[in-house]
This record gives sequence, C-alpha cells and structure tokens, in this order.
Amino acid sequence: MFIFAKMTQIPVRITNKNPKLASYILSQYGGPDGELGASLRYLTQRFAQTDKSGIALLTDIGTEELSHLEMVGSIVTQLTKGEGAKSFDKYGVGDYYIDHANAVYPANASGVPFNAACLQSKADPIADIMEDMAAEQKARAVYDNILRISDDPDVNNVIKYLREREIVHFQRFGELLDKLQSKIK
Amino acid sequence: MMENKNVNSIQLMRNVSESAFYVTELKLYLDTHPEDTEALELYCEAVKRAKNCIEIFEKHCYPIFASSADCECSWEWLTGCWPSEKMI
Repeated sequence: MFIFAKMTQIPVRITNKNPKLASYILSQYGGPDGELGASLRYLTQRFAQTDKSGIALLTDIGTEELSHLEMVGSIVTQLTKGEGAKSFDKYGVGDYYIDHANAVYPANASGVPFNAACLQSKADPIADIMEDMAAEQKARAVYDNILRISDDPDVNNVIKYLREREIVHFQRFGELLDKLQSKIK
Repeated sequence: MMENKNVNSIQLMRNVSESAFYVTELKLYLDTHPEDTEALELYCEAVKRAKNCIEIFEKHCYPIFASSADCECSWEWLTGCWPSEKMI
C-alpha cells in the first residue's frame, strides 16, 4: 500500500510564470521518458520479479518516481498559475490551453497523450533491468534538454535535483543487474 | 496542532526534506547492499532523525501524514501547503 506524505523531496517554489516552459517540462509528466512511465514501469515489473533485492529496488525506486511525478506536476502548476488564455497564446501554447486550460495533463511536450507502449514488463529480470537502466538515461537526457532551454533558476534547481536522482537510480539498477548476472553464472 | 506564525515553516520543512532524503538514499543503497553493517547503522540513525524532524514540523506547522491530523475541532488534514502549492 501507499501512504501519502504532504511534502515533496525538495521544495518546489517557482516565482516566475512561463506557460511555454511549462509545456516543455510537461514531457517529464506524461512523455515517453517521464516520471509517470518510470513509476508505472518499475511498480509493474516488480510483480514478476523473484529476487528480493529486485522486488525492493523496483518498489522503492518506483515509489520515488511517483513522488517525482508530483514534483513535475507542481512545477507545471506553479509556472501557469493565474495565467489566462491570452498569456498561453502569447507564449505559443494556445493549443494546450484550448484542451486543458491551466490543468496538468499527462502528455509529452508536443501534446501526445501518455501511452504505455513506452514501457515493457517481460518477467525476464535481465531484459527488465536493462530497460530500466536505459529508461534512467533517457530521463536524464530529457532533463539535460530542459536545462539547455530553461534559464529560470527556481525551475532549474528542481530539474537538476531530479536529473541527479536518475543517475543514482541508474547506479542502483546496475548493481542489481550485476547481482542477477552473477546468480546465473 | 495549530499553525504557529512565529516559527519558520520553510526551515522546519527543509529539516524534514533533508533527513527524509538521507533515509531514501540509504534505503536504495541497502536494497543492493543488504549486508553492509555500517550502512545499516546509519539507516537506523537516519530514520530516528527523520521521525524527530517530522514530529517537530507537525507540532509547529501542519500534519504531513493524515494519521497525525488533530481531531479536536475540525479536520486538520485540509490545512497546510499541498505539494502543488508554493510554501510561503
């Protein structure tokens, strides 16, 4: 089960408004390499996992990714809070406003809704963990791309934190892969 | 538990975040290094510290967990800063 905590891993406190930047960051909410896909991937793969370290790691990283989903949604919310239709249009994201207004919707940066085709669950620990390691790198690359565009210090502070977490998760999945492979040998 | 304007809720939340983050990091490490006795000791200490920071925050600010909400007058769980809101 899950118990909700009314807090985020680090505080999300965004001062400026920028609907365009929000639409880019939304990709880490509902895009193919985003936090929704990450949490769903790990929390789903763990049902077929038999190694105890594997079950624990998929559960714990999957849970942390859910908290990151919440942080990304919070960035998008704060970047667009109080902005009206004209502002969205001026920033070039009037199309997003037409369908979702100031709501957070699980879609990628170009508006394509979330699709579970971006993840797999194979009951094959080597295949699954290798996918998980690739997923961490792809998520890290998206955060790098966001940092190449964004010059908002409040946003970048949180994005840099989330980027670092992908690297730590990659490390832990790598250790699990070593363990699983040595068991086979 | 009543929100006390004299305490710095941002600083108290920072203490909660930092101590909880340390727990998270050690937990993931222990998932793949379950026999590391030094890390196990650090984990137990970290959990104690995080619980203490949460208790202090909840005493001075608002409930982080619904189970900590005060039942005396009204449903206290509605108070405080939700994750999407900017803490002031």
